[in-house]
Amino acid sequence: MTRKTDMRFGRKTMRKTTLSAALLATTMLAQPGFAEEHHRIVEEPLELSVHFHWPRNQGYEEDYPVEQAAREMTGIHLVDETAGRNTPDHNEAMNLLLAQGDLPDIVGGNRIKDKVNQYGPEGAFLPLGDLIAEHAPHIQAVLDERPELRDAMASWDGNIYYVPYLPDGKFGRAWFIRQDWLDALGLERPDNVEELYQVLVAFRDQDPNGNGVKDEIPIFERQWEELIRFVTLWDGRSSGSDTYHDFFVEDGEIRHPYATEGYREGIRNLAKWYAEGLIDPEIFTRGSSAREYLLSENLGGVTHDWFASTSGYNDALQEKVPGFEFAPMLPPESVSGQRIEEHRRTPLKPDGWAISYANEHPVETIKYFDFWFTEAGRRLSNFGVEGQHYEMVDGEPVYTDAVLNNDQPVNSQMWEIGAQIPRGFYMDYAYEWQWTSEAAREGIELYEANDLLIDQFLGVTLNEEEQAVYDRYWPSILTYMLERQQAWILGTGDVEEDWDSYMAQLDKRGLNEVLEVMNTAYERQYDS
Amino acid sequence: MSQQEHIGPSTEELVVEAREALRDRVRRRATGLGDHFKREWQIYVLLLPTILWFGLFLYKPMYGLQIAFKDYSIFRGIDGSPWIGFEHFQTLFGNDQFLRAIKNTVIISFFTLLFGFPAPIILALMFNEILNQTYKRTAQTIVYLPHFISTVIIAGIVMTAFSPSAGIVNAVLEWFGMDPVYFLTKPEWFRPIFVGSGIWQEAGFQSIVYLAAIAGVNPSLYESAVVDGASRWQMMWKVTLPSILPTIIIMLIIRIGNLLEVGFELIILLYQPATYETADVINTFIYRQGLQQGQYDLAAAAGLFNAVVAFVLVMTANTISKRVSRTSLW
Repeated sequence: MTRKTDMRFGRKTMRKTTLSAALLATTMLAQPGFAEEHHRIVEEPLELSVHFHWPRNQGYEEDYPVEQAAREMTGIHLVDETAGRNTPDHNEAMNLLLAQGDLPDIVGGNRIKDKVNQYGPEGAFLPLGDLIAEHAPHIQAVLDERPELRDAMASWDGNIYYVPYLPDGKFGRAWFIRQDWLDALGLERPDNVEELYQVLVAFRDQDPNGNGVKDEIPIFERQWEELIRFVTLWDGRSSGSDTYHDFFVEDGEIRHPYATEGYREGIRNLAKWYAEGLIDPEIFTRGSSAREYLLSENLGGVTHDWFASTSGYNDALQEKVPGFEFAPMLPPESVSGQRIEEHRRTPLKPDGWAISYANEHPVETIKYFDFWFTEAGRRLSNFGVEGQHYEMVDGEPVYTDAVLNNDQPVNSQMWEIGAQIPRGFYMDYAYEWQWTSEAAREGIELYEANDLLIDQFLGVTLNEEEQAVYDRYWPSILTYMLERQQAWILGTGDVEEDWDSYMAQLDKRGLNEVLEVMNTAYERQYDS
Repeated sequence: MSQQEHIGPSTEELVVEAREALRDRVRRRATGLGDHFKREWQIYVLLLPTILWFGLFLYKPMYGLQIAFKDYSIFRGIDGSPWIGFEHFQTLFGNDQFLRAIKNTVIISFFTLLFGFPAPIILALMFNEILNQTYKRTAQTIVYLPHFISTVIIAGIVMTAFSPSAGIVNAVLEWFGMDPVYFLTKPEWFRPIFVGSGIWQEAGFQSIVYLAAIAGVNPSLYESAVVDGASRWQMMWKVTLPSILPTIIIMLIIRIGNLLEVGFELIILLYQPATYETADVINTFIYRQGLQQGQYDLAAAAGLFNAVVAFVLVMTANTISKRVSRTSLW
């Protein structure tokens, strides 16, 4: 242990000399007088080590332009000490980090919420409530403005242990239909479930792609779980959040969608559609290439997928499939006349960063976290460095042409410079709007104009005993639910015949016990 | 022959030499371990990496097995977590999905053994009968190849081959006028597909051991069989097979010891909730319940159970083999 600290000290002092040289260089490059005095947290450069595991990069690069700019403004230098750089699985990396016990000053990255809320109360992470109240006015302002976020972030002991990544914007996925197929067959865009059924039958039978072969696949999905969302057409639910098969809240109580009457009705109809060939026969095994393949081969008709990436095919496939038009449409009205878009962007990500017990500068660290919620910090984390990646036009950040007209999508360019990465920050939707295609913008405006969104279940944090109950029953309940779900759709079981025994099995497997602990935790977390 | 007698040493000389060698050996035995290591140190150096590997990767992790009896928290660590006795085992055996996983493991292993074990032996015997060397080598290379393909690719090949729209299997079925079958979502088809693709992938490579054993058979046995007028078929049954029987038995014992070690990577890539009923084995259960849900202690308990059963199986197989054929691992 001592040897290790010695080495670290040696490295730190050595680094300081090289750093001041680097600092001078960057100061000369950047434009002068950028409110430096306001954001300066420490006079002497202070190094904080960070674990930062996320899907695009299993670590935190010290030469991100965004990091360089933040160093210059705050005086705080993040030094990468990410565990598990060789695994793409952030959960595994986090477990590895916790198991070795020697935590860096800051622990951040993808999906840290469950871990910090579980191990925070055990002493691995610092509770942040008081630190934020005293030293982080900008974070405090967000929490005051949106108290529901605070509830959702909290652990079972009432403390908050991480500063989250807060997404902006509302819509994620949308319904897409082949407008050119509708036109070819002289059909109207379906507006309710019955019309949708007629259109799907027409897609199946009337050869809309005009190749003389009955090879059209009316409904397809990249993730088979998206098919289950179709139960909303019969007033069922598939999930309460952007995680599949999640619980949802109804009348102030947590329930599971797969144990409701609407789901039963929805699955019964989906099974019928599947048997009639309206749903991709290979829905469960086609996998992530389904959209790319079925669209470029001119075979797929309807899907439920992300606005931006799905509308991108309109440009990409113009040459290969002449006249190709894959248009976003409103969710068809359900049997009871409701229009529901079940998926939305979550307002609170389980990503962000936390302060570990080993951190000897908690005040400086929380001030640093706060920096990213200031105007300058938020802009830096959303758009990159002014002059390099964006310019201010009429007081608004606008990407430079080099960024907008790049072969690489804007989001991956941002990830490479250290912006839009899952640190604790507040996303600005303007960042995405600037490079969203015209087709997608129209779709988003269409969705905006209709009040489609439903409240998201932001999760509960269970205490140790509740967690034990959940762990004991939940995995086998979910396994059983999914087994029956697929069997019913594939037609190897009949939902009407099985329903009573299915509900009895859920009961026997402890669904009520799980719901009970979830609801206890829910009341504790959101009602107080 | 007679000329050599004159050139070589006389009988007396040989006797003297043999006596000295015997004395030497006795002396060596008496001088103890130190001398022994000094003289044979190169061999022990060669052994060292294996010992280290065993120590680091097989014995040291056994320390962690204790979490099967603890309420394990990764932050508190193995020593800091409290003991809870057999609670995890009670949870496991109270879970019908775990019992189903045991059943599936045994069934899949049994079929893998039943069909997968004889396949490389038959293959090796067949190769042995091919006279044209070029043809033999080409055929061998072709059957070895699948072994070197990564499991992910194998899963992709299997999924495509059995796909209802693009798969060759369904194309053949349709050619015979049958309806296409969505094989990978049918519980009754999972085991045949899994066992079959396993044989396709590994039989060729596993046959190498038997080919080596066949190459080691004393040629004079075949020569005398030819003299006695044996047919090739008889030679295979009466000479080749009995000669490689010890190898077969050893391989069988090893296989039985690994009976519960179903190649779960391929299962994870191929199974669906729709096929869990027949496809979910102990290792995939551990993966889902333990690793995906982060219940390491429960997973360790399931793994420990797996290891104990494997140990009992290998001991039993060894004992039976010792009694029946006098061939055994130890």
